[in-house]
Amino acid sequence: MGADAVAAGREGSVRWRLWALVPVVLLVGAVSLFVGTGSSVTGLIRENPPEADAFDVRRVTFEPGTIEVAVTNPQQGDLTIATVTVDDAIVPFTLDGPQTLGRLRSSTIVVPYDWVNGEPIVVGVTSSTGIETAHEIPAAVETPGVSARSVLGYGLIGFFVGVVPVAFGLLWLPSLRRSAPQWLAAFMALTAGLLTFLAIEALGEALERQAALPSAIGGAGLVVLGVAASYLALTVLSQQLGTREGGGAAPLGGLSLATLVAIGIGLHNFGEGLAIGSSFALGELTLGAFFVVGFMIHNVTEGLGIAAPAAEQSRSVSLRRLAALTLVAGAPAILGTWVGGFVLNDLLGVLFFAAAAGAALQVVTEVGRFVARKAPGGLTSPYALGGFLAGLAVMYATGLLI
Amino acid sequence: MTRKQLLVAAAPVAAAVPLGRYAVGAAAGVERHAAHLRAGASMGHAAMIGDAVPAPGGPNDLDALLYPPPALPYEPGRVREYTLVAEDRDVEVAAGVTFPAWTYNGTVPGPVVRATEDDLLRVHFVNAGSHPHTIHFHGIHPAKMDGVFEIVPPGERFTYEFPARPYGMQLYHCHATPLKKHIHKGLYGAFLIDPKEPRKPARELVMVMNGFDTDGDGTNNFYTVNGKVFYYAKYPIEVRRSETVRIYLANLTEFDLVNSFHLHGEFFRYYPTGSTDRFEYTDTVMQCQGERGIIEIDFHNTGLFMFHAHQSEFAELGWMGFFDVTD
Repeated sequence: MGADAVAAGREGSVRWRLWALVPVVLLVGAVSLFVGTGSSVTGLIRENPPEADAFDVRRVTFEPGTIEVAVTNPQQGDLTIATVTVDDAIVPFTLDGPQTLGRLRSSTIVVPYDWVNGEPIVVGVTSSTGIETAHEIPAAVETPGVSARSVLGYGLIGFFVGVVPVAFGLLWLPSLRRSAPQWLAAFMALTAGLLTFLAIEALGEALERQAALPSAIGGAGLVVLGVAASYLALTVLSQQLGTREGGGAAPLGGLSLATLVAIGIGLHNFGEGLAIGSSFALGELTLGAFFVVGFMIHNVTEGLGIAAPAAEQSRSVSLRRLAALTLVAGAPAILGTWVGGFVLNDLLGVLFFAAAAGAALQVVTEVGRFVARKAPGGLTSPYALGGFLAGLAVMYATGLLI
Repeated sequence: MTRKQLLVAAAPVAAAVPLGRYAVGAAAGVERHAAHLRAGASMGHAAMIGDAVPAPGGPNDLDALLYPPPALPYEPGRVREYTLVAEDRDVEVAAGVTFPAWTYNGTVPGPVVRATEDDLLRVHFVNAGSHPHTIHFHGIHPAKMDGVFEIVPPGERFTYEFPARPYGMQLYHCHATPLKKHIHKGLYGAFLIDPKEPRKPARELVMVMNGFDTDGDGTNNFYTVNGKVFYYAKYPIEVRRSETVRIYLANLTEFDLVNSFHLHGEFFRYYPTGSTDRFEYTDTVMQCQGERGIIEIDFHNTGLFMFHAHQSEFAELGWMGFFDVTD
């Protein structure tokens, strides 16, 4: 292209930039026209069927002598709370919020009720159109409020489930350091296996929770958004770590890779804490000793996953560094139980699990690059393949304990 | 406020009840009644009475259904005329809950039709609804007046004419198909035929037991007498100890096989179908779908006496009320 042509192109560019507004203006016009005609266009086909008039029961909490039911209107049209039943009996109630809910508006129904500890209970909310939304709670137990005791309780569960096993797993570091390069590669591949398993698990959880959201705010797109955002954020982070290492385009290794793995695992443990906290708060989970022990065994392997790349580094790793890695990977479990137990919002839950999946996938990519470039025999060596499969198998087997 | 505090707060109100007994005059009676209701309301979990009850409608809304027109002494050759109009109507059946009903004259149950035995009954039926309907009366009448063959399309009319027989508590309902739909949507009512020899004087009440399937899943969401959930718990029926209370009771509940009536603190005479003098002395009667009878109560005591279906589920889904018995 000659210099003249470039200049001509620039001259016309203002006009063509303005032209870019034309589709937008046309779209606004078409939308207002369609909305303005009301239902006359769809009315050519048939009358719209009535809406489902079902409430979305967000949360049911139990206090002595009281049941509180948080409901949201998931549909286009208004929805009015008319009658409330508990176990098929009409009960008097008061409302904390509006009685007629606009789209996505919420209200909390407060019912004075002498509920029976540990027994199943069904709460029903009937709309002004007579449609009853029934919500079953498998076992009514008092919902923990925010108190020093419960904060400590959740914190300890998070500590035992997240921090302790990761710290234990990291103790494998000296042994790993003394192992042969092909064995170290096998353990790196094992890390990739662990993370792949965690990614799939988190993705499944995110999709499941997304499906339970009201369709107005749900959609698989929300999960894709969460996965992509965390994947890309970690990609940027790994590049910065790489530049700092001075490796340029070389794959991350050593402590930087270990840090990345710790971040990925930390995000996952946050989600794990979230799930434990919210299930326990909603009475959907029996949080026995066995459950916590299961999580501990399951998560010890996460410590191993962080230790493997750290072992590759020739310099010794300071205890402070190791403690920091442990906290990055394990402490989010504590935060997660708090958020899950006290303030969980369904929408945030979906985003957290999607983010955990994206982060784990990104770290798998990073570990894969490392094994491919640096390990003897590359990605297809029996050590790498065996390690990867072993990682998946270990997570599956220890997952059975939960 | 704890429950204990609530009870303490209610104590002065509760204490006012016996005190009220000593007061004389109508004003004191009203005060006593109100005190009852307040005491019940402040107990929270325990009592469902008065303003604490989530019930639709205002006082006296159901008077036309509860209190039948008076019985007329027998008179040979008399014609009794009624007009029943079938119309689609949204009715409020529970607090804030409307049901898209099919009604006779705008209410569920429909109006009370009353005649004396051998009166010539002439019922003008107008179908102003959106579906074909009929009226099928229980009793003795010619086959062509049975409300089964002469289906009345929307916008048309038909006149049913036959002598009212036999005396007793009868009923009427639509018999167009699908039958289940036409009945549970609300097309039914009480049909009283008085004996030529008048019954002894009494405070007469009509109670039609029914249910409402508001979400169309084939099971009832609400149960009532005379069409409104907990109505007589919110507004207890006032009766006197000195008078016999006669209840014309019918079961027009759809989906559930039986319904029942149970009275607290008292026994009554129950005349099945009310067409003979045979009765049973009891405090609980069960009626199958379409079954009916007459209850006669002579209250021994004053105060608030609960009545309800003895199926606890029906009672707690709206079929419960009170008599307020005074001297």
